[in-house]
Amino acid sequence: MYLGLKEMWHEKLRYSLLSGVLLLIALVVFMLAGLANGLSNGNRQAVDQWHATTVYLNKNANQTLSASQLTLADKKHIDGNTVAPLSNLSGTLRTSTNHLKTTASAFGTSRNSFLMPTVISGHKINGKNQLLISATLKDKGYHVGQKVRIGTTKRTVKIVGTYASSTYSIAPTVYTDTSTLNRLKDSPITTGKQQPINAFVTKKSQFKTAHHGNLQRLSIATFIENLPGYSAEQLTLNTMIYFLFVIALAVIGIFMFVLTLQKQALFGVLKVQGIGTSHIIAALLSQSVVMALIGIGLGLAITVGLAQIMPAGLPFVINWQAFGIYSLALLGAAVVGALLSWRTVAKIDPVVAIG
Amino acid sequence: MSTSVLELQHINKEFGHGHTAVTALADANFRVNAGEFVAIIGPSGSGKSTFLTIAAGLQTPTSGKVLLNGQALTQQSEKQRLAYRFNEIGFILQSSNLIPFLTVTEQFKLVDKMARRTFQKSATLKLLDELALSDVKDAYPNELSGGERQRVAIARALYNNPSVILADEPTASLDTPRSIDVVKRLADEAHHHNKAIVMVTHDQRLISNCDVVYRIEDGKMTRTD
Ligand SMILES: Nc1ncnc2c1ncn2[C@@H]1O[C@H](COP(=O)(O)OP(=O)(O)OP(=O)(O)O)[C@@H](O)[C@H]1O
Ligand SMILES: [Mg+2]
Repeated sequence: MYLGLKEMWHEKLRYSLLSGVLLLIALVVFMLAGLANGLSNGNRQAVDQWHATTVYLNKNANQTLSASQLTLADKKHIDGNTVAPLSNLSGTLRTSTNHLKTTASAFGTSRNSFLMPTVISGHKINGKNQLLISATLKDKGYHVGQKVRIGTTKRTVKIVGTYASSTYSIAPTVYTDTSTLNRLKDSPITTGKQQPINAFVTKKSQFKTAHHGNLQRLSIATFIENLPGYSAEQLTLNTMIYFLFVIALAVIGIFMFVLTLQKQALFGVLKVQGIGTSHIIAALLSQSVVMALIGIGLGLAITVGLAQIMPAGLPFVINWQAFGIYSLALLGAAVVGALLSWRTVAKIDPVVAIG
Repeated sequence: MSTSVLELQHINKEFGHGHTAVTALADANFRVNAGEFVAIIGPSGSGKSTFLTIAAGLQTPTSGKVLLNGQALTQQSEKQRLAYRFNEIGFILQSSNLIPFLTVTEQFKLVDKMARRTFQKSATLKLLDELALSDVKDAYPNELSGGERQRVAIARALYNNPSVILADEPTASLDTPRSIDVVKRLADEAHHHNKAIVMVTHDQRLISNCDVVYRIEDGKMTRTD
C-alpha cells in the first residue's frame, strides 16, 4: 500500500494518464448502460407497471403480442382470479385538427382490470369512447376533454384522464376499454364474447385442463424478451459494454506490465532488502485499484452531469444497480490487470540487481 | 570462544555444467564477529559479489554451509530467506540502493511499514544525525550527492538493527575523499556500535580501517588479520 501510493503521488502525471483512460472507458460503459436502460424502459415500462407474472398468447403468434389473435371467450381455458384481456394498437395519436401528432401504443382492457393505470387527473373510464393518456402525452400538449383519433380510423375518442408516465415499444401509451379499442381498429365485432383481443395477462394463474385450445403460456420475462427489437437492442449494447471490460483489462494489464518491466532493477533492490514479491504485487494492486476507483468515480460523476443536460429525446435513464455492477466489473478488471504482472515480478532475480 | 555472527564453511559455487562450468568460489571459508570490520578485496571476476550474495541468502552455494549466529541457513524456503534478509542483513550496494520516489525519511518509514510497526521517528532522526544527513531528511534520492546517497544507504542498512551489514563496493561511485568518509563511518558503526560489517572493495587504499582482510583470487579466499 504505502509503497504503491507513494509512487503514484511522486509520478502523478504517469498515473493520471491511466486514470484518464479508465475514466473514458468507464464513461462510455455508463453512457451505453444508460442508453440500454433507457431503451429497455421505453420498450417495457408499461409491461413492468402491470406487475403481472404471466401472459397468454395465441400459440401460433411466435410469442409476439401484435401477431396474437384471440377472443374474449378463450378465457375459459385459464384458471385464476385476476385474468385481464389485453388488446394492442400502435398508431398515430392525432387531434381532430391534426394540430398534434404523436406515435402512441394504445392498450385496451376491461374497465375495472388491474392493467388499467391509476388515474392522477380527470376520471376513470366509465363509458364508451373514453381514453386515458400517460403523463408523457400530457407534456406534449394533449389534455383532458380533447377529442383524438388513433391510427387511420375516422372514429374519435375523448381524453378523460391521465396517469403516470408509461411507454411501450418506445412510444407513450394510452388505455381504453376493449370494445372502444376494437372500434378504433375498425373491427367487425365490437361487443360480446367473440370480440377479438391479443392476449390475457394475469398475476397468478394456470391452465384449467391439459387441453387449452390455441393458448400458449409465457412468463412475463419471456414476453419481454420477445418484444419487437428488444433482445437485439439489449444484446448489441451489452456486447459493446462487455468488450469495454476486455479493453479495460488489456489497458490496465499492458500499462502495469510495461511499468513493471521498467522497474525491474528497483524491484530487484527491494528483494535484496527482504521486501518480496507479495509486497510488490500488493503495491501494484493498490495502484491499479486506486486508478480504477478514480476513473470510475469521475466517470460516474460526468455521466450523472451529462444526464442533466441531455436532450429529452435521448432514451437515457440512469440505473444505479447496473452502474454498480459495471463499476465492480471495471474494478475487477483493474485487479486482474495488475495480477497479470505477477509472474514477471516473481521472476525478477535480486542477484541481477547486485551484479 | 565466542561464536561468529556470520560464518561460511567450505563454500563452493559453480555456474553452468560440464566443460563450460565456471567455478566462482572454491572451498571458501569466512567468519566475522560482532564489532569487526572486515574487507574482502580482489580483482574483477574473482567471486566477491558471488560470495556476498551467498552470505545474504540470495543464492545457494553448490556445497558448503552458511551459519548465522551458529544457525545453518541452507534448506530454507524463499519466504524464510526473505525474512532473513529483511531482519538479519543490511545490504549496501554500489549505487541505487534507495527507492527513487521516497524521501530520505520515508525510506525508513517503509522499513517500519514492512515490519508492521509504527514509524520510529526518533531512531530515524538520531541515525540521520550520526551520519550528518539531518539537512537532507526530506530530499528525494535524486536531489542528493553520491556521498549522501551512500550514507543514507548505510543508515537504511543499520536501521533494522541487522546482525550483519554486507556492502558490495559501497564506494565505487564516489571520489577518494568521499570514499574515505563512507568507509570511516562504516568502521565507526562496527567499533562503536558493535556491528559485524563486511565490505567488498578493490581499492587497496580503503582497507586501512579494517580489522581483518580477506583476499580473493579465482574463487580462493585467504585471510590476513
Ligand atoms: N549467474 C552467473 N552465471 C554464470 N557465471 C557467473 C554468474 N555470476 C557470476 N558468474 C561468474 O563468476 C565469477 C565471479 O563473479 P563475481 O560477480 O562474483 O565477481 P566479482 O568479484 O564481484 O567481480 P567485480 O569486481 O567485477 O564485481 C565470474 O567469472 C563471473 O563471470
Ligand atoms: Mg561484483
